[in-house]
Amino acid sequence: MTFQIILLAAMIAASAFAVLARDLLKAAVALAVSSLILGVIFFRMGAPYAGVFEISVVAGLITVLFMLTIALTKQGDDVRESKTVKIAFPLFFLVFALIDIFIMRGILAKVPALEGAAEAGTFGEVLWKERSFDLIGQLAVILAGVLSVLALFRKRDRHDHE
Amino acid sequence: MIMNEWIVYLLFAAGMFFLGLYCLLTMRNLIKLFIGIEIIGKGVSLVLLSTGLARKSILLAQSLVVTYIVLEVSLVAVALAVIINLYRANQSLDIRSLTRLKG
Repeated sequence: MTFQIILLAAMIAASAFAVLARDLLKAAVALAVSSLILGVIFFRMGAPYAGVFEISVVAGLITVLFMLTIALTKQGDDVRESKTVKIAFPLFFLVFALIDIFIMRGILAKVPALEGAAEAGTFGEVLWKERSFDLIGQLAVILAGVLSVLALFRKRDRHDHE
Repeated sequence: MIMNEWIVYLLFAAGMFFLGLYCLLTMRNLIKLFIGIEIIGKGVSLVLLSTGLARKSILLAQSLVVTYIVLEVSLVAVALAVIINLYRANQSLDIRSLTRLKG
């Protein structure tokens, strides 16, 4: 558990760097590091498939997409952020952490233990037999995503200029 | 024992949610705002999986997280395409340049 807490703290630190970094490329790389650590945490929690998906898809593919967008919008790099954001961040984070710890200790400790429902079978059986409706939803969302990207990047035809 | 672990995971997931919310509320760059949304998504998937661990139904939680990750990819693709189109229209990634859309 100690190692897990160290990993969680490292994930928070990487995400904080991603939020506060001025350079967008550094922020994207910090986001990739954060999801890499999250993948390791998933793996150690006994969820290897979620960990593999997190590392390969989120840390790999989404980072590539982010870098592509940053490269395509190079001149937009110089958006001026207000300076109080970085100065006020530690204060806000400290206040939030105190509230967080108090709530978790005070309220959530009284939440009755979740009833366990022991599972049988493998990950594939659960995904394909119990959650087969989710797969249809996934297909629909992927199709909608592809169609909307195509619509966003379609070539302008002559009617648009008239 | 399991209960304490669950609370630790929830604590850190709430931290991730706070970071993403702070980014969304304070930043002005569109790509930075989207990084904030991604961080919130990471916190949510951590909550899902840790609750599955506490409830001893890790396989169900895992399949939900995998579904979420697949949906996240198409969300990212569409949102980044929208950001590129906004950049072409405005020549800027500043969120304040979008205020001229208001009626």
